Amino acid sequence: MSKTMIEVDHLKIRFNLASEKVDNLKEYVIKLVKHQLLFQEFLALQDISFQVKQGEAWGLVGQNGSGKSTLLKAISGILQPYEGTVSVHGKTAPLIELGAGFDQNLTARENIYLNGLVLGHSREFMEAHFDEIVEFANMQKFLDSPVKNFSSGMKARLGFAVATVVNPDILIVDEVLEVGDMKFRRKCNERMQQMLAGGTTLLYVSHNVESVKNLCDKALWLDHGRMRMIGDAQEVCDAYREQQNRDIHTRKQEKRAKLRAEGKKYDYLVVGAGLFGAVFANEMTKAGKRCLVIDRRDHIGGNIYTEEVDGIQVHRYGAHIFHTSDEKVWKYVNNLAEFNHYINSPVAIYKDEIYNMPFNMNTFSRLWNLKTPQEVQDKIAEQIAELHITEPKNLEEQALSLVGPDVYEKLVKGYTEKQWGRDCRDLPAFIIRRLPLRFTYDNNYFNDRYQGIPMGGYTKMVEKLLEDVDVMTDTDFFTYRKEHPELYQKVLYTGMIDEYFDFCYGHLEYRSVRFETERIEQPNVQGNAVVNYTDREVPYTRVIEHKHFEPEAEAADPKKYSIISREYSAEWHPGMEPYYPVNDDKNNALYEKYRELADKEENVLFGGRLGAYKYYDMDKVIAAALDMAELERAPWKKSRKMGQ
Amino acid sequence: MELLKYRIRTLFKYRDLIVELVKRDLKLKYRRSVLGYVWSILQPLLYMVVLVIVFSNLLGKTIKNYPVYLLTGRLMYDFLKTSTTNAMKSVTGNASLLRKVYVPKYVFTLARVTSAMGDMVFSFGALIIVMVATGARFYPTLIFTPLVVIQIYLFCCGLGFFLAQFNVFFRDVEHIYGAVLTAWFYVTPIIYEIDRLPANVIFFVKAFNPLYYYVGQFRDLVYYGNFPGPRIFWGGWLIAFLMLAFGVWTFQRSKDRFILYI
Repeated sequence: MSKTMIEVDHLKIRFNLASEKVDNLKEYVIKLVKHQLLFQEFLALQDISFQVKQGEAWGLVGQNGSGKSTLLKAISGILQPYEGTVSVHGKTAPLIELGAGFDQNLTARENIYLNGLVLGHSREFMEAHFDEIVEFANMQKFLDSPVKNFSSGMKARLGFAVATVVNPDILIVDEVLEVGDMKFRRKCNERMQQMLAGGTTLLYVSHNVESVKNLCDKALWLDHGRMRMIGDAQEVCDAYREQQNRDIHTRKQEKRAKLRAEGKKYDYLVVGAGLFGAVFANEMTKAGKRCLVIDRRDHIGGNIYTEEVDGIQVHRYGAHIFHTSDEKVWKYVNNLAEFNHYINSPVAIYKDEIYNMPFNMNTFSRLWNLKTPQEVQDKIAEQIAELHITEPKNLEEQALSLVGPDVYEKLVKGYTEKQWGRDCRDLPAFIIRRLPLRFTYDNNYFNDRYQGIPMGGYTKMVEKLLEDVDVMTDTDFFTYRKEHPELYQKVLYTGMIDEYFDFCYGHLEYRSVRFETERIEQPNVQGNAVVNYTDREVPYTRVIEHKHFEPEAEAADPKKYSIISREYSAEWHPGMEPYYPVNDDKNNALYEKYRELADKEENVLFGGRLGAYKYYDMDKVIAAALDMAELERAPWKKSRKMGQ
Repeated sequence: MELLKYRIRTLFKYRDLIVELVKRDLKLKYRRSVLGYVWSILQPLLYMVVLVIVFSNLLGKTIKNYPVYLLTGRLMYDFLKTSTTNAMKSVTGNASLLRKVYVPKYVFTLARVTSAMGDMVFSFGALIIVMVATGARFYPTLIFTPLVVIQIYLFCCGLGFFLAQFNVFFRDVEHIYGAVLTAWFYVTPIIYEIDRLPANVIFFVKAFNPLYYYVGQFRDLVYYGNFPGPRIFWGGWLIAFLMLAFGVWTFQRSKDRFILYI
């Protein structure tokens, strides 16, 4: 049934570069006399052998100059093989360039005939199909205007309509559908699909790998005139795209290395390879600036750093779950990594009891064995009323007045005390302003629209951001600044703002955490990624079981062991890893003083959690970094924004 | 034999294209000009007026009805000039098309020569006007003029093929050929009578100038009212076929390499 339509066998096409440059007699004679008529061979194609069966759609991919068009020309008979054979069985309709053969001075009507005749149709045939062509091209109004007044999209339409008026046995399309509007392209695609379904064989060349994937089932990858890969369109296209990305990356790397070797000044020195710094550096690099990212740590990623331990992505600096309601940010991160559909629903353990978090109907029904929201609300109101607290003097009274004694004792008290290392009665009331209670059976911790974990870990995502950026880890800013003060123009500092000013007004305070990470020889230790321990007697606040963040990785490769991290709250002392800024009045006032210094600092930007002394979720970090980058790229917007 | 059949079949297949190309050439030449096809008549007419004013005293004293004498020669020469010059550019001028689609390349050359012939036929109008105006006789031999037209047409096709392929490889042929055409004009008895030339030059012109044969025949039929002598009649046919064969041979030999140079 499927007969061979095109058979290419050891095709070789040779050009003579030297003699093709001589195109006049004078030069020819001169060169002849001087014996300079050398033969400079160029093999545009060699060792090309493949067969195309009836009804197949073949895509040709490859870089510019790889011989794609040459091959199409050989198949359509324009070029003669130097060696080997090309045999074509059937009527060919070439679309090598839409509108080839249009005479600019003739009208559309005249051109339809001329073009059709060029393609080998008879006048009679064209007359019979004239209306059909005009209708497909949607040209009724312009039939008698000269083609030179047409837009390229209109010419494309006309050309496509003429070329596809017959169902040819073989249709050859070369990068032609990149012009024209969406609607027309869709129409063309439909027409091609129809023809394919009708048994037409298609040869398709496009730079757009996606369209090759969509339209073709087989593909041939040409590289410098040779066949690099042949086979299934998906596989070939993927391999080709990968190679392309690698090539681009290598070229960029070479360029960067060259600039580095020349000792050229960086536009930005980004201090801290965390999320803020990486997003900023990425944006500025895309805008054509040169950035150097340095980090004191021996790895990039800052606190979102994940490292692979025995095949499991371990969140080294605590659980990071990406959640956002900002559509722009969600799109941004999805371009960097593929996100899974992880939903954070932590579990709390109090002594031997298990409760769902956050406080919702599942929690309450476990506590009091109640069923309806009304019953629960009544119960909590009744408990709060019995306490007669009018003005809470400390955190304990504050919490009690919000949730009542049962929830407080079992789920708030111990956890908060461990977190702050102090008795709740000794903590100020303002730490907890509200304790959200949810009267639905919903265990999803976050209220955001989008939530997930990047598959393969956050580090990969940051690596992607810093793909085209120079990065130096194990590099301390203050030392670097002393050694190479002339190597950069501007600085983005994402470290601790007080350290930048040498703690001249004293230390800002942070809350810190400590992790104990352990491999346990059990496939599943706690059945959930995050488990909070709310009684005071257990020394750690929570236990993270890392494999549950990426259930799909575990499903693909089940492991007999697991890795857990116990999280301890730690009193912060200068010199320790800072985690959470303590935004109380005292620290905020201190920060303001540093902020004033920072504003006076020329050519230095401060950003990120430590630079802005602010608790940021990851999405807010990204949004802030994008904003900062935009202001840097377009400073004139700054005044406008401030004026608002 | 198979090959010949195949060639004829493709020629047949593309006949509509040739017709359309000829129509295009003619249409484009006269489109958007007020006088349209009248130009074909007016052009040689004006040219003739100038030549008559300049040369009738100089050369035309011995020639009776100099305007008709001049125009009969001029028409043949103009056809040769226009058709071969256009044919020369027929391959290079359609490069963008030939690079994209497979079309037999000779189609364009053939179309150019043919459209020039169309042009020439229109110009016959000028000749008729002049003949009427000068009271020249209309000889019955006029009906044989198509025989001459066919000869010169074949000759110009051959020369056109040769020039077209040559121009692909050497673009400066255009300039060289321009000079050749000017010289050709003067070594052909168009504005003068051949007897005015020295005897050795006459021999040279008669032996080596193909255009002499066509101008001579045409003039015999129109101006003198004789049937041309066997020498120029059969000679004309022979030269036409030899040129055609030579042109086709050079064209066929190199046509597959065109794509590399255009």
